[in-house]
This record gives sequence, C-alpha cells and structure tokens, in this order.
Amino acid sequence: MKRKITLLLVALLGCSAIVTAQSRKGALFINEVMVQNDSNFVDDFGKRSAWIELYNAQFAPLEISSIYITNDRNNNTLYAVPLGDVNTHVPKRQHVVFWADGMPSRGTFHTSFTLEPGKDNWIGIYDSDKLTLLDSVTIPASLGANQSYARVKDGNTEAGWEIRDDNGDKYITPSSNNVIRDSNDKIEMFAERDENGFAMTIMAMCIVFSALLILSLCFKFIGSLNTRKAARRKAEAHGIEPSTVDHRAPGSHDSGEEIAAIVMALHEHLNAHDSENTVLTINKVKRAYSPWSSKIYGLRELPRR
Amino acid sequence: MLQNLSEFWHFTGFYNATWPHFIMLAVGLFFIWLAIKKDFEPMLLVPIGFGILIGNIPFSTTAGLEIGIYEEGSVLNILYNGVSAGWYPPLIFLGIGAMTDFTALIANPKLMLVGAAAQFGIFGAYMVALALGFAPDQAGAIAIIGGADGPTAIFLSSKLAPNLMGAIAVSAYSYMALVPVIQPPIMRLLTTKNERLIKMKPARAVSQNEKIMFPIIGMILTCFVVPSGLPLLGMLFFGNLLRECGVTTRLARTASNALTDIVTILLGMTVGASTQATTFLTRETVFIFALGFMAFVIASFSGVMFVKIFNLVLPKSKKINPLIGNAGVSAVPMAARISNNLGLEYDPSNYLLMHAMGPNVAGVIGSAVAAGVLLGFLA
Repeated sequence: MKRKITLLLVALLGCSAIVTAQSRKGALFINEVMVQNDSNFVDDFGKRSAWIELYNAQFAPLEISSIYITNDRNNNTLYAVPLGDVNTHVPKRQHVVFWADGMPSRGTFHTSFTLEPGKDNWIGIYDSDKLTLLDSVTIPASLGANQSYARVKDGNTEAGWEIRDDNGDKYITPSSNNVIRDSNDKIEMFAERDENGFAMTIMAMCIVFSALLILSLCFKFIGSLNTRKAARRKAEAHGIEPSTVDHRAPGSHDSGEEIAAIVMALHEHLNAHDSENTVLTINKVKRAYSPWSSKIYGLRELPRR
Repeated sequence: MLQNLSEFWHFTGFYNATWPHFIMLAVGLFFIWLAIKKDFEPMLLVPIGFGILIGNIPFSTTAGLEIGIYEEGSVLNILYNGVSAGWYPPLIFLGIGAMTDFTALIANPKLMLVGAAAQFGIFGAYMVALALGFAPDQAGAIAIIGGADGPTAIFLSSKLAPNLMGAIAVSAYSYMALVPVIQPPIMRLLTTKNERLIKMKPARAVSQNEKIMFPIIGMILTCFVVPSGLPLLGMLFFGNLLRECGVTTRLARTASNALTDIVTILLGMTVGASTQATTFLTRETVFIFALGFMAFVIASFSGVMFVKIFNLVLPKSKKINPLIGNAGVSAVPMAARISNNLGLEYDPSNYLLMHAMGPNVAGVIGSAVAAGVLLGFLA
C-alpha cells in the first residue's frame, strides 16, 4: 500500500515538474532586438548598447528568473537571469528589456554576452531546465545601426519579423508594444463586417443550442440507461426474467400519486413513521413564563409585516 | 473659527448637491419603496436602492476624503472590486447552484432546448442595440439583460462595458422584478385556449447518481463548448455538486445561505452605489432601459413560440404546454411560478410548476453560455 502511495506521489511530482517546465513554453518570446545602438535607447548608466526585448504573451504574470539567455548555440546557459529581483516578475502581456553589453555586474538586465554588428546573431532563450528552448531568432547581418529586428505582432509566431528604423510606421519600440493598438480588433471586425448583428445572432444561437442539445442528449441517454437498470432491478426483486420486462411500458414506473397513496395507507395502518432524520415531531414544550425572558420585550425581535 | 466653519460648509452635502443628485436619491427611494411596499425583489432592490442613496450623497471630490466608490483605496472602492473585477457574480452562481434542484431538467432533458430558445432575447436585443448606434461590445453588455440573470449581466458588463454596468445592473434587476407584469400578456397573446390546457406527463423519478453526474458532465460539456463561460458555469455546477453529492451538506448550506446572502448584500449595495448621477442620468441609460424591456419581451416571445413549434414534431402524448416557454428566461423561480399560475387559471388541476422549472434552470445555464459566447467574441 505504502509503495503504491509512494509511486502515486512520484507520478504526481513528475507531472507537476512537467507542467512547471512547460509553463513558460509558448508564453515567453523574443520580441525585438537591436544589435548596433548608436543613438537609440539608453540604459540606467547612460550607456547605449545592444538590447533584447522579451515579451510575456500570456494573460497572467510570468516569472522569468532562472531562465537562460544565450547567443551561443553550443552553450545554453550563457547568461542565467538571477533570482531575487522583483522586476523579473513580468506582468501579463508586458515586456522586459535586457542589455547585451557583457556587463552582468550592472544588474539583472545586463547579459554576460554582446551582439556583433555586421554578422548573423543567433539568440536563444532556454527554460530553467537548461534544455527547453523557449524561443530563438537569427538577427540578419544586414541589420544596420539604430535599426531593430522586431516581430510584426507582439508574441505572434505566424506574423513573422521585420526590420524597423523609426521611419513611417516602422517604430522602434523597446519595452513597449510593437503594434500600437487604439481599438479592439474583434470589435472593429464585428462593427465592420456584421453591422446589423445578424451573423453574431446566428452563430451565438447555434452555439447556445448545440451546448444545451449535447447536454440534453447526454442526459437522455443516461436517463434511459438508468430507467432500464431500475426496471431490471425491479424485475429481479419480483422474480421476473429481466429480459421480458419492457422498461418503456407505462406501468413500469410507480407514479408519484401511487407512491403517496401507498405511504398514506401504511401510515394509517401502522400509525408510525420510519427513522429518517427528516421526520417532523411536534412536542409541546413547557416553559415557566417569566417577563424577564419574554420575547415581547426582546430588543432583537424583527418587525413583522 | 469662521474660516473652519466655512471650510466645513464646503465639505457638506448641502453645498455640493446638484439637481441630478436629488433625482438619483429619489430613484433610490423609489426602489426601496418598490421593495418594501410592493414586495418587488426585496432582497435585491433594498440593497440596490440603499446603495443608490449611498452613491449619491454629494461631497467634495477635491477634498481627498477617499470615500467615493471610484476613489482608489476607499472602503466602498474595495467592496466594489468584487463587481469591477467580476468575482461577486461567480460567487452568487455558486449559491444558485447550491440552491437549484435540476431534477425537472434531468427528468425531461428536451426542456433544455426551451431554455436555449429563450436566449434569443439576448441576441434580438443585441441587433436592436447595434441599430441604435451602440458599439458591438456595449450592445452585447446591454443585450444580456434579456437573459434575466442579474449576476450574469453584471459579470458581462464589467468585462465588456464597465461604464454602462450600473445602468445595466439596475435595469436587469428591475425587469426581473417586473417579470410577473411583463410575461403574462405575452403568454396569453401567443397561446390558444387548447394549448393552455395541455397536461404534461408527470416527470420520471431521477436517481441520486444522475443528480451527481449532472453537474460534473454539465460543467465539462458546456465549458468545453464555451470556455469563456467557465467562471459562471464552473461555479454554478460546483454549487450544485455540493448540494447533490450528499457528503458536503454543510458546504452546500453555507453556499446557498450565508455566502449568497453576504455576496448579495455587497453586490446589491455596491452596484447601487456605482450609479452616480453624472454617469447614470444620460441618454444611454434611457436606451438601456428600453432595450432591457425589449430583450425581456423577445425572450418570453421566443420561449413560448419555440414550444409551439416544437409541439408540431412531438407525439400527442408528449406535447409540451407552451405556457412553460416563458420560463426559459433565467428568473428562477419567478418565471416558473408565472407559468404555474397561468396554467391554474385555465385549469385548476393543471400544475405546471415542476415542468416549468426545467426550462427555468436551463435558462440559467443558457444565459451563462450566451454570456460566455459574447465574451469570447467581443472581449
């Protein structure tokens, strides 16, 4: 028994470890990178250096301490994000910028490696297990000074990457959204394509109907099984062959009225009740009257309508 | 000393009062009067009415008193968090689940479709709201009034249109109280005398196992279809499991009594207090009340009409009395009681209450699913 419990606990721990390890997968992304920073974002020390922006794409805060950032395919653990910094707790759908300046002594957000302009720069982020690659990107050598390589949509792997140089609408956006939104896309789409709400009504009613229809069919089936089972038990109790009983026959159920009549007859005959705990017993309780304990004078009595 | 007195005078309600404040105070008093004198949903209208009084006491907002419901860190603001962050409604749903007996629905599962049909009130009102110029998210939040479910209306409006939540909540609860006035004329109008006399077969007995399976299967199935309805549906079915499993009687009792009472008090009071004159007395509020009424009418209409159409395909022995169609809105158990009363009016031996409870509780599930759909599409 003890062995079984131990095995179960080990299995549960294993599952929780897998869940923990997978929690950052699909949630944390490299979102924007600048390799050569001559006149762009400045760090807390007043210095300009290459930067890497990470993005928490989930709708819940994400702890990124103990993950690894690297630019070496052969070394997954080049820079470990230290524990104990409150700023490594990234709020939902928010960003954090790491300075690739090779100066980890300057704080949590300064990596131990640098990026090299004019060359392809591979960047990867690994989970705390040092093996799970959360995200990676190769920054093209063609990326010029003060240009960034950014995801077209924040945290979106399908929309691809683009080079940004602050011209036109190609804004460089360290520590903020790559797409500046002033409206909800879904609402805009409905306002534009479904002006009268007809499509929404049809879709929504179909969903509501199908949800309740599935539930209805499911319980129709369960009810039918249950009725059959009850009929079989009843047949067995009466010593009848169960296969000969038609559970759908109208007489196969005792109606509420019949049950009530049987109960009343038994009650009249025996003049007694069973030992259920819901029995109502009315006994006269004698208490000596005293005005000191009378409810009439009680302050807590509620007004009656 | 005179300067102090003058400053004090500037803090008082008399100095800061405006006409809209007095109008809102009158609205609050009217709600309290309706609840106490006319017995219209007193459990809700007393807290809401008094909340309106609390929320519309004039004071100087520049004095830094930190007492207003919208001032961060104030007591009212902390209590209001349950509404603005949307966690009161799921707690109410927990209580509703613990109070609701789904036996009638399990015994006759096809009645679930009546609960689904009545949700057309929501989407009918959605189309009208769009035509009146509301944005899709606002239209969705207003339309949910048609579900006749106060907590769902508050939950959805807090997500889709927080600025309209006060008006939507007050409108939803007002019309829920007016269900006995709104529904009977529609039911009479849409049914013939013969239809009103239809006697339905008594429901079959439902086993304890089925009652336990219902919340578990119900939650999994509905939330797989509409995950966005999880906070409401999850809590509703959880509350029902506490009730039916037979081993958590104390928890079910607490969920259905003390917890629901506490949350109802806080929810009603803070929703009332959120209806401040500046945000409440607007043209939108008038539209919201009109749309809410329309949503209720459409919901009742579609419920009754669905039963009539459904009867065309049902065998004679299984026909449904269309008077239970109105119960597809989730005003539990008031809508079912109306079906019963109207049925008894035409045939004193025709008790429809338990039959009407089927679509009525299906309406609770249906409106939560509809809210999940709107949230999924528009949030």
